Amino acid sequence: MSRLFKLPPQLIRLVLLTIGIVCFYFTARYFLTPPSFGQYGHYRGNAMQEIAARQPLWAGKASCLECHAAHAQKLAKGEHKNLSCETCHGPGRIHVENPAAKLPKLDVSLCVRCHQESPSRPKWLHQINVHNHYTGSVCTECHVPHQPNEVP
Amino acid sequence: MSENVTRRGVLKTLAGIVGGIMAMPAARTCKAAVQNGLASSHAPPGYDPFQHKWLMALDVDRCIGCGMCVEACCQENSVPEGHWRTWIERYVITKPKPGSGETRGDTVVDSPEGGRKGFGAELVPKEDILKSFFVPKLCNLCEHSPCTQVCPVGATFEAPDGAVLVDKNYCIGCGFCVQACPYGCRFFNPETHTADKCNLCYHRITKGLKPACVEICPSQARIFGDLKNPVPDDPLQKFIASNKVEALKKFLGTGPRVAYAGLDEEVR
Repeated sequence: MSRLFKLPPQLIRLVLLTIGIVCFYFTARYFLTPPSFGQYGHYRGNAMQEIAARQPLWAGKASCLECHAAHAQKLAKGEHKNLSCETCHGPGRIHVENPAAKLPKLDVSLCVRCHQESPSRPKWLHQINVHNHYTGSVCTECHVPHQPNEVP
Repeated sequence: MSENVTRRGVLKTLAGIVGGIMAMPAARTCKAAVQNGLASSHAPPGYDPFQHKWLMALDVDRCIGCGMCVEACCQENSVPEGHWRTWIERYVITKPKPGSGETRGDTVVDSPEGGRKGFGAELVPKEDILKSFFVPKLCNLCEHSPCTQVCPVGATFEAPDGAVLVDKNYCIGCGFCVQACPYGCRFFNPETHTADKCNLCYHRITKGLKPACVEICPSQARIFGDLKNPVPDDPLQKFIASNKVEALKKFLGTGPRVAYAGLDEEVR
């Protein structure tokens, strides 16, 4: 072969080695790249399915309304009409799947979390100063959470 | 070397090797094409990522800083303590010094625990505050996202439906993307040892639910919708139509898509 191309043997060996490395690269790449890689772009197409497979924790207002339609009608009349049930009651998927699993009781900290007076809060929001608004500890003595405009 | 070796023979062998190498990617392409033909999409059943374009919009004037969205996000996505996929910043702009001729004084920004437990009293005395407001932050869903460009393995990408996702089974945890995001929206998850970020609750939106933060927001400060399939009386379309909207750090050329209404010039 060296006579054929009149090339020094070390150069021939170098060429063969290069070809070998390139072959190895493509073979390894073929077996190591996941099948869905490059399906839509430079990523695994299957990744989208895997990310989407997880179960949600918050069920969504529509799930609550399937059973608690009466509460929803009441809620729709008041200032809290745009609130999701889970905003106050907490994540509800477990309760949707098993109605016996009750959601936790709520306390005053939830009301204060949104309605405590603060200069950073927008002016349209009803705000109170918890220290001088009411000396008791139960907001529901005077306010109905599902219909805040009503008096109990 | 035998005398039978001819130039033509050697060239044929070399051509065969080269042809073999070239054939492998071609075989891959054929394999992928067949796969695509059999299953039109690998996305969730009944969900075609090409038929949607998700977008979130934020109304700064509606945010009351309760932090319920941060709490909802952390619970929904099992975000480890001390990290946030979405967070709320409180901007406090002080009054200018009398006689300084300025329109405003200093800007003080804080975000205790990302706002997850709500906000306490302002860091500035009430009488010194010129104005103050809350700004919710999340992934800006960039069109030319720098975070996906720097990924050396293709583990993060812009999905066809506009969400920027992290493939945590493919991520090597190098952290380049965490540095690349100019909005600080990514973090290194110490539990999975991969990059992590807001993915618009991809597991929820593909099932027809709203992202957890949007579901939970009590004041409609977060508006979410599908630009390709507007529902009747679409809140997102209505929001874009009735507000002057702006995106964060547009000058960086990352093409941020998340729309903000009511931004102040101090917000970065």
